[in-house]
Order: sequence, then C-alpha cells, then structure tokens
Amino acid sequence: MIEAIGLTKRYGAKTAVDGIDFQVQPGRVTGFLGPNGAGKSTTMRLIVGLDRPTSGTVKLNGKRYVDLKAPLHEVGILLDAKAVHTGRTAYNHLLALAATHGIGRKRVNEVIALTGLESVARKRVGGFSLGMGQRLGMATALLGDPGILILDEPVNGLDPEGVIWVRTLARHLASEGRTVFLSSHLMSEMAQTADQIIVLGRGKIIADAPVGDIIALAAGNAVRVRTPDAARFATLLARPDVTTKITEPDLIVVNGLPAARIGELAAGSQVVLHELTPLAGSLEDAYLALTEDDVEYHAANLDEPTTPMEPVQ
Amino acid sequence: MTTTTPPATVTPPSPVTTPTHPIRLTFRGVLKSEFIKLWTLRSTFWCCVIVIVLSVGIGLLLATVQAPARAGVPVNPSPTTAAQQATAVRDATVGTGIGQLVLSVLGVLVISGEYSTGMIRSTFAAEPKRLPTLFAKAIVLGITTFVVGLVTVFGTAAIIFPLLPGIHVHPNWGDSKLELALFGAAGYLAVISLIAFSIGALIRTTAGGIAAAIGLILVAPTILDIVAATTGATWAQNLVAFAPTNAGGKLYAYVSSAPSTTSGVVSLDAHTGGLVLLAWFVVLFVAAAVLLKRRDA
Repeated sequence: MIEAIGLTKRYGAKTAVDGIDFQVQPGRVTGFLGPNGAGKSTTMRLIVGLDRPTSGTVKLNGKRYVDLKAPLHEVGILLDAKAVHTGRTAYNHLLALAATHGIGRKRVNEVIALTGLESVARKRVGGFSLGMGQRLGMATALLGDPGILILDEPVNGLDPEGVIWVRTLARHLASEGRTVFLSSHLMSEMAQTADQIIVLGRGKIIADAPVGDIIALAAGNAVRVRTPDAARFATLLARPDVTTKITEPDLIVVNGLPAARIGELAAGSQVVLHELTPLAGSLEDAYLALTEDDVEYHAANLDEPTTPMEPVQ
Repeated sequence: MTTTTPPATVTPPSPVTTPTHPIRLTFRGVLKSEFIKLWTLRSTFWCCVIVIVLSVGIGLLLATVQAPARAGVPVNPSPTTAAQQATAVRDATVGTGIGQLVLSVLGVLVISGEYSTGMIRSTFAAEPKRLPTLFAKAIVLGITTFVVGLVTVFGTAAIIFPLLPGIHVHPNWGDSKLELALFGAAGYLAVISLIAFSIGALIRTTAGGIAAAIGLILVAPTILDIVAATTGATWAQNLVAFAPTNAGGKLYAYVSSAPSTTSGVVSLDAHTGGLVLLAWFVVLFVAAAVLLKRRDA
C-alpha cells in the first residue's frame, strides 16, 4: 500500500504537486491519469525518494522509501525507460542492480526471459528502441519480485503485443495481492487495466474513484442528431442551457436535451431525422471533462471535435 | 544498430521465485554492484590501458633519450647514490603527469556518466540512502586506480631500470625510500582520481566535471605558477605549493627535504604534501556527500 499525506513539491516558484492525499491499495491496479505537467511523474519520484518533498509524507507499507530494508524487493519501479547507462548491456545493467540486494544471476535470467529480452540481453542499451528500453525497465522493476509496483507510462513505445503483455502482467500482479500503481496517457488502456483511477491536474487530485464511477461522471447527455436540415434544426434547438455543435454538414451534437425531447421537437417542426443517438461517455471524455480547466499545456485549438464519442451499445 | 522486437510473452508466468537467502540491501552488495558497474563499461578498460601504455611509453622514451649513446650529451660520470636514485624515481614516475589526466577523466565519468544517462535514478531507487553508493564508488575507484598506478609505476621501473646504467644510474631496489616513492606515485594517482570523482559528484555533468577537474589539476597551478613567477608574491607561491599536483607530487619525489618556511614561502615534504592532497579530497568529498543527500536526483 502507498499512502501520501499532504504531499507537496515546489520547484522554485512552481508548485508541481500541491498537497495531495491518496492511498493506493494492494490487490488491484490503480491508474494515475493527468495531462502533461500535472505532476504524475513528480509524484512517482517523490514516492521513491528521488525527489525530496517540500512538505508532506509518502509511505510504502507504513515506511518511508529510504527506510526500506530491501527497496528492490518491496518496490519495483519503472520511472522512465532511459534510467539506464547506455554503454552497458542489458544483462550487466540488471546484474549490477541485482548485486545490491544479493539477487543472483538466476533471477536476472528469469526477468530477461519474462520480458522477452533474451535476444538483446548482451547488447548495449544505447542501441535499444523505445520499446526495448521499456521492456528493460519492466525487467528492472520485476527484478526484486516486489510487492508494490510503480510504473510510469509502462506501455509508452510498446507494440500492441507489448501493450497486451503489460496489461495482462499488471492484472496478474494485482491478482496476486500486489499493489500496482501505473500512469498512462492512453485512456482506453487505463479503462481496460485499472480498477481505481486517480486523476491529477495542476498538482491536485481531481478525482479518486473506481473506474466505473469515473466513466459515469462523463456519461453526459450528448446526443448525436443526423439530419439533412442541420443548420435550421440547430437554431430550433437553441435554448439557454443547450449547446449544439454542427460537426459535419448533416450532423449535430446536442448537449443538454434528452434524445426523446429532440425527437419530439423534430416531429413538431417537420424536420427529417436520419439518426438520433444518445452518446455514452468514455473514460477519455470523463478525463477530458475533469481536466478541462487543469491542462497546463494546451494544444492550439484546431477547431475539431476533441474526441469521437462512442454510441451506446 | 537495429534491434528486432522479440515476441512478447503474453501469458506471464508467475514472477515469484523463492530466494534461497533473504533479499536485502547490504553495503557489501552495493560494493559488488559498483564493481560490476565500473568494469562493464568499455571506458574503464580503455582508460586503464591508456594510462599504462602511455606512462610506460613516456618513461621508456625518457630513459632512452637520456642514454649518452643516443643523446650525445655529457653525463655526470659519478653522481651520488641519492642523485642516482632520484633520477631512477623521476624516470619511473614521469608518466604520472599524463596518467593523472586520464584517471581524472575516469573519476569524473564514474559518477557523471550515471547522471547524463539517467542511470543514477535506477541506482538510487535500488539504494535510496545514497551515501553508501558514494562510498562504494569511491572505494572501487580508489582501489582500481591505485592498482593501475602500481602496475604503471612498477612496470615502468622494471622496464627502464635495466637501461639506466647507461647513464651511470644504478637503481637500488633495496632502498626503501625508492619503493616508498613508487608506492607514493600510485597513491597519488588514486587520490587525484578520487578528487576528480568528488568534483564529478558535485557538478554532475561530464563536460563540466572534466573541465573543473582538469582546471584544478592542470590549469590552476600553471596560472598560479605564472603569477608567482612574475610577481614573486608570497601568497601566490604558497598557493602553488598547496595545489593538489604540487603538494601531492612530494609523495613520489625521492629527495624531499623537511617541511620548511623560507621567508614566508612554504615548502612541503612527502608527509605534509600527502596530507594536503588528502585534505583536498576530503573537503571535496564531504561537499559532494552533503549535496548528494540533499539534492533531487
């Protein structure tokens, strides 16, 4: 279990993590979501003592990371794939880290096999692709057979097979009663992998709830309306608390009106409808809705719908 | 270089193994880890080879050009025993000048290489108290450079001493002062590399660390020397005497007079010079240790 209390980190005048409290429970996968610059990586660095908190504490099974008797055995960390000396081979990298805890060559070979690195284990890490680097990072994290896993963007750079492998592994490790805490920017990936989601924005926790609840937050009231008379119908629907957006010449996305009411209005105004679909929110929508005001680095507005919405099954 | 992606293991076997002994972080383990780290990088091997080859080569060159047959210079036909031994030590340790530069680069790289590649995060995740890592690195580096120094100096001596009788120098291996001076040269190289290591730990970048280390070892004494020579200022002459290279150089000088102060200018001997060199290391190492503990990795 990971427990943070009032965790704060300032870099000069900038507050990266702003007094956050959270718990990551064993036996399930906890996802850590947030826009770039929200403070996810900083939080993970604070957990393992690479950065020193400005104030607040974070404990692992009741102890500070620095006080653990066998850090590699208690916590496995993938902070970024490039935390490796590029001049050393993957095997020697793992061997050197294993030596600190008296972990033998047998286990080094095991994690190499487990992460599918056999063919490149004797090659120097400098020539590795991002995906290979991630696999080596996972091998490093698993080296000490840890009870807690902290994985920062573990699927970043992996091929689809690798993504499935990480997902399966994360679920498997959690099912063994381990604590799995992982961040990802792939919301769909998170929806499939995580049980609990913590959403971070501008250094503060915006949401901390089971994944189902988070998705429910976004199960808004958007309705997709397809009609050849889009422009006219959009003006007919106009009301103070209703927004309409014509996304294609014959397509309107309506917010604030239930589908039934839109159908009635169409009938009343003799507007032909080709489609009338209530849209369910996805984790992605929920995430975007939650972090709307907390995005540190906005991309230039390309005047496009932000995410394609999925029809209700 | 291209790497092929191996097939992913989709069904993970349980990663649980039952260790035969408890998995625990120990200082012994950290030492072993640092030893593996040092010797699994090519730069270490090449730095050591370069030191040995260059030093022996320069010693050999010096011994050869001194030979009267080659140089055609008049040679004192009956130098005193002490002068003979001093010449022998000087020729055997002449390579330390270049050796110290290469070993300084190695000393900086041992720590800066971890910062520049991000390895330091893996290192400190495995050993979060940090100071054991710093100590282990220093021990492994110190032993390595001392051994390289011994091989270099004694190797050079073994190769060139048979040539020295040609210039009426008859090195006497039985002279403990000669052996001490040769050991002193190896010790000097080890401490210089540790000073560079401490600078690397303070500055954390390879380029900055090497520049600062070379600056302290080579550039600063030279500039001070020029200032001292042109102004004749006592303070400048004393600073020159206390520079790591000059103070440490007394460790491998065969003839060293007792420490003295002549009209305000200090002169060090092997003991005091060695202590001054050690003081440089201790001050820089303590500063590195304090900052290592306090700074974010």
